Amino acid sequence: MDPEAARTARESLDLAFHMSNILDTGLDRHTLSVLIALCDLGVNPEALAAVVKELRKEKTSLSSSLPAASSLP
Amino acid sequence: MEEEEDQQKLPDLVKELVQRLLSQNLPPNSPPLNPNSPEFINSLRYAHRILSSRLTPSVAPDAAAIADSIKRRLAAHARSSEALSFADLFSKFAHKAQSVNNKWAVIYLLKIISEDRHHSHHQPPPLLPNLAFSQPATHHHKPWTNGALLISKDPDNRRDVAFRDFVAFVREENEVSEEALVRDVLYACQGVDGKFVKFESESKRYAVPDSVRVPRATRSIVHSLCELGVLFRNVSGYISQSMDRFPAEDVGTVGQAFCSALQDELSEYYKLLAVLEAQSSNPIPLVSESATSGNYLSLRRLAVWLAEPMVKMRLMADLVEKCRVLRGGAMAGAIHLHAQHGDPLVHEFMRRLLQRVCSSLFEMVRRWVLEGELEDIFAEFFIVGQPVKAESLWREGYRLHDAMLPLFISPSLAQRILRTGKSINFLRVCCEDRGWADAATEVVDDKGAASRRGGFGYGETDTLEFLVDEAAKRIDKHLLDVIFKRYKFKEHCLAIKRYLLLGQGDFVQYLMDIVGPELSEPANTISSFKLSGLLETAIRASNAQYDDPDILDRLRVKMMPHESGDRGWDVFSLEYDARVPLDTVFTESVMARYLRIFNFLWKLRRVEHALTGTWKTMKPNCITSNSFTRLQHAVKMQLVSTLRRCQVLWVEINHFISNLQYYIMFEVLEVSWSNFVSEMEVAEDLDDLLAAHEKYLHSIVEKSLLGELSQSLSKSLFVIFDLILRFRSRADRLYEGIHELQARMTESSSSSRDQNKSRTRKQLTDKSAEQGSWIADGRKALTQRAGEFLRNMGQDLDAIAKEYSSLQEEFISQLPVQQHVDLKFLFFRLDFNEFYRRLCPSM
Repeated sequence: MDPEAARTARESLDLAFHMSNILDTGLDRHTLSVLIALCDLGVNPEALAAVVKELRKEKTSLSSSLPAASSLP
Repeated sequence: MEEEEDQQKLPDLVKELVQRLLSQNLPPNSPPLNPNSPEFINSLRYAHRILSSRLTPSVAPDAAAIADSIKRRLAAHARSSEALSFADLFSKFAHKAQSVNNKWAVIYLLKIISEDRHHSHHQPPPLLPNLAFSQPATHHHKPWTNGALLISKDPDNRRDVAFRDFVAFVREENEVSEEALVRDVLYACQGVDGKFVKFESESKRYAVPDSVRVPRATRSIVHSLCELGVLFRNVSGYISQSMDRFPAEDVGTVGQAFCSALQDELSEYYKLLAVLEAQSSNPIPLVSESATSGNYLSLRRLAVWLAEPMVKMRLMADLVEKCRVLRGGAMAGAIHLHAQHGDPLVHEFMRRLLQRVCSSLFEMVRRWVLEGELEDIFAEFFIVGQPVKAESLWREGYRLHDAMLPLFISPSLAQRILRTGKSINFLRVCCEDRGWADAATEVVDDKGAASRRGGFGYGETDTLEFLVDEAAKRIDKHLLDVIFKRYKFKEHCLAIKRYLLLGQGDFVQYLMDIVGPELSEPANTISSFKLSGLLETAIRASNAQYDDPDILDRLRVKMMPHESGDRGWDVFSLEYDARVPLDTVFTESVMARYLRIFNFLWKLRRVEHALTGTWKTMKPNCITSNSFTRLQHAVKMQLVSTLRRCQVLWVEINHFISNLQYYIMFEVLEVSWSNFVSEMEVAEDLDDLLAAHEKYLHSIVEKSLLGELSQSLSKSLFVIFDLILRFRSRADRLYEGIHELQARMTESSSSSRDQNKSRTRKQLTDKSAEQGSWIADGRKALTQRAGEFLRNMGQDLDAIAKEYSSLQEEFISQLPVQQHVDLKFLFFRLDFNEFYRRLCPSM
């Protein structure tokens, strides 16, 4: 990528990151960039959001299962 | 190639996403995620499943709308500074981020994620109060829509299961989502068939067909909301129909105004519908497996929004139905009836509508009242004109057309309007006067702003009244000025009275003297030229010559159509030529009535003239006794008694006639005239004048026994007149005979004395030799003849006297029974000492 395109890409990402912070989505930069790339490819944003939500839910199950796991030596 | 790359990138990206998310989830000190752990693979598979299950978004790709809704949400949560900064960022993002092609997707994504997070924070519904971290949050969604996402500590998930079952059941019943129905209803409100809501032409309503599975409640709501659509169809159908008929000139200006006012209201309606549509496509979507989305616009919200337009549309549809066949002022009147409503919303609406509709009507009124112009191409105005001759312009040229008279203009106001315009036209046409324009401009200046076009309209009827009154006042005054000053109405009336009603005594006397002998001839031998010449002579001989020559010009002799056997007396009459504009007052029928009165008065005058003639022969009482000393006593007695009888009869007749004459002249003519003059003074417009004149004529006709009620009376009166004329001729003959006798007497008495004188007298008597053959007879024969003559005369006179008294009695007895109160005065005069009453106790 030429520097110009890289710069715009970075700026766009910055803007998007700001917006996502305002909206308090809890996404970090990297995840956001991945999501943006997926959107660009034409994936349904509703589906992506569903994935994000479901996988975050897993967090609780994982975190709930983890203490069990960590309790194991 | 690129596509393949993209395809290749996709799973990689997904994998990376999953990894990232999961690693986010891990607590800080745990080991890094193993991409090949079974949990990871499970999650990956799950992610793929989700991604493939929903391929199309449920919302239209409108980045700006989504950004708007985000802003609103932020503002609603009292984070307005953040909302502003978000707006700022978004605008920059939208303009600058070239690398991101699918901006709306990004924004949408962010929105959903943030909402989900927030909802997962503020989760618990009021149904589950026993959750530990529950905070009773204010959220506006139906609880069961989130049923599937509850974080509940319910161990066997019973409620969860129940909710899921309920959701499934609702979904089963609702084949169609609520937002689709809402959209369809909005389409139906504009008269367009939607996907599920169709127009059924048999029942004339919009409904969801039975084939679509929709619960009954929803069906009935849809049905009631779509009534709006039906009404809308009616109204817009009417408008388009009228527009089609415009070229055919079937729809008048009022109809056009009505259509345009309706169209304005409809455009307001469209605006509302557009706003509602924007709202309806602005969902607050939930990524959930619920049956209905929490759209801002649900059917019930729609019902609330559409309540007011429903009222207005119902009104409009009602009006359209009523006015389908009406036009012009009738349409305005029908709409006005509807405006008598207590509800202020309706009242305001109707007022606006009516102001537009009636503007053309009021303009027409204004033009008519100020300029006398009827610009009425479509025949909508309540005044119609028809082309007539100049003299009937006032009475028949314009009239009110009641069907087109709207109800807010009262009949008296309409009369005033009619009269004002009529006056202007009358002035313009008949009087050729231009001065009325000044009067009109005075009104305009006076009224100032209120009289400008469109300055007064419906609801300001009192302004209209004021304008009409002002205009009427001025125009009427002007008209009366013109009539009185320029056309000398009063002078003409007076002239008619003096000539046609025989007011100018000396003129009539001369006329009668001159024309009398002529008129005794049969009618067909009389030439009107000669009579006109005689009329001129009479005029010049009397005081009439000092009159205005214009008036004298108009006086003419008229010979009525005669049959054989008529004498001149029966066909002679005078006539007065009244020209435009006065012939509005003196129409043909009016002049005919004057003629009748003239005939009656002329007859009366003739009789009176005859009586005075008889008096003239009777008066020189040189029938002194010394001429008759040589007669026999019996004959002398006879002579005296005959003479006396003649005189007595004359006196009686004279009493009757002179009282009748006095009654006619003073109690009928003069009184009516003074009433008429006083009414003329206070008359305010031509209608008043016409009415006053009518009254004047009518009273004359009634009181002089020419009316319908007194026909028998007038017949007997005419018989009396004939009898009087006969009496006159008899009396003349009597006196002629007596003078002859006297002449004989004196001649024969002095014949022996004065032979010389007799020679000259013989010449005289020679002339009279043709008449009688008395000369040859002696005195005895003379006496005998005289006696015979006198006896005959006496008998004649007796007969006449008897007939006369019987007729008179009949006449007088009929008088008290008459209804007209003035005839009682006549009766009083005729019988002031109750002579007749005592004579004939039947009275």
